[in-house]
Amino acid sequence: MDPILSFHGLTKKMPGDNKILFTNVSGEVFPNDRIAVLGASGQGKSTLLRILARLTTAEDGQLFWRGTPSGELPGRQWRTKVGYVSQQAEMLPGTIEDNLQSVSRLHKIGFDSSSAKEWMDEIGLGHLDWQLSARELSGGEKQRLALVRSLLLKPEVLLLDEATAALDETNKRAAERLLDDWQQNRQAALIWVTHDLEQAHRVASRIWSMEDHTLSENFQLGAVH
Amino acid sequence: MSIVALGFTLVFVAVAFFISLWQKLGLERDLFVGTVRSAVQLLLVGYVLQYVFKSNHPLIVGLIVLVMIGVATWHAGKRGEGLRGIYLRIGISIFTTEAVTLGLLLGLKIIPFTTQFIIPISGMTIGNAMVVSSLYLNQMKRETVSARGEAETLLALGASPRQAVHDLLKRSVRASMIPTIDGMKTVGLVQLPGMMTGMIVAGASPLDAVRYQILIMFAFASSAALTSILLSLLSYRLWFTKDESLKVMDG
Repeated sequence: MDPILSFHGLTKKMPGDNKILFTNVSGEVFPNDRIAVLGASGQGKSTLLRILARLTTAEDGQLFWRGTPSGELPGRQWRTKVGYVSQQAEMLPGTIEDNLQSVSRLHKIGFDSSSAKEWMDEIGLGHLDWQLSARELSGGEKQRLALVRSLLLKPEVLLLDEATAALDETNKRAAERLLDDWQQNRQAALIWVTHDLEQAHRVASRIWSMEDHTLSENFQLGAVH
Repeated sequence: MSIVALGFTLVFVAVAFFISLWQKLGLERDLFVGTVRSAVQLLLVGYVLQYVFKSNHPLIVGLIVLVMIGVATWHAGKRGEGLRGIYLRIGISIFTTEAVTLGLLLGLKIIPFTTQFIIPISGMTIGNAMVVSSLYLNQMKRETVSARGEAETLLALGASPRQAVHDLLKRSVRASMIPTIDGMKTVGLVQLPGMMTGMIVAGASPLDAVRYQILIMFAFASSAALTSILLSLLSYRLWFTKDESLKVMDG
């Protein structure tokens, strides 16, 4: 099977100075993949995800979407295929509904309100009035809303940068279940950056470790740490 | 005003110089340079204008206007360091603003086609467009730092660069126009503008001076809006890398 997303020889330097953050980072992502990215703080896990979302540029290396070099696809087109949820859930101005409808507004497509409602229920936000200001929500609510907002984009690969870090255990599990169902229904791939080893065991079938300025794959979950 | 009287105006610079020394502001050098430059530049302009007014030749007028646009562009462009191609875009914005403003003023016969009107009014329009461009770029720099999360969230949802910075552009355009609009609201109450004061001092009737000042204030409103909108549309792509990710700007 061919990978949907692949990257070869990525090198990223620290902003400000010329120290290497990571180098020679390569990997392949296939449909249905559930990958956890583990590693100590400061190894560049979040930066790698931002590079894969093309929100940050690597100094060296190449990205491919189904074999096509990233340079041949405009960033916006890339990002509709490769979704990204950041650690800091940023709410767009307006209400919860405005945030949920952002994808339909940006791409001038119909709003999938039934999926939005279903996913909001599943993630434990079913009780919220959609006319509330999104910026008034709590940190955990914002993170869950940001997740649902990204699911509505229906990307083929979803990059999650500690996207459940602000959630308590119950809501974390609810988010994991929703992502798991969503991924299986769409045959999509999920890449999770997490510090939570237990979560990595629950959600991932493949583990990428970032250490010593590069990325390696641990084929067995038990091999990690 | 006699040359002796003009010489006495240096007293004002001496006051500023003394305050700077006394309070250790360290502005003496800048004050000195500013004093020499403003005196030399204005005297030179005075001689040039005297020659231009006498000749009243459209080519010379056009050349002077182009030099004004060039200097204004160069000055405002310094606010956009790191944005490749910003000078060209500022130049186009200011040039278009000047062309539209002057075109309307002459086309509607609000002012006659004479050097005496075209040069000072162009100077003020271009000067205002320069300030608006600088304010716009400053605000946009701040926005790309403070609202970076908002823009990147939209990018991550597949937004085009234009969609991602739409609100940032709007806020920056507004910020760049506020001083002009505030100036319109308070003109005559808080300050008497330079041109009006100059005309009154030179012997014109205050009512005549006011009419021209109204013209200038209204022209400023449109030139501020035009410059800012044009610059935002022409330059928004410069804030992005070729990968369509938001550049990291200093400051």
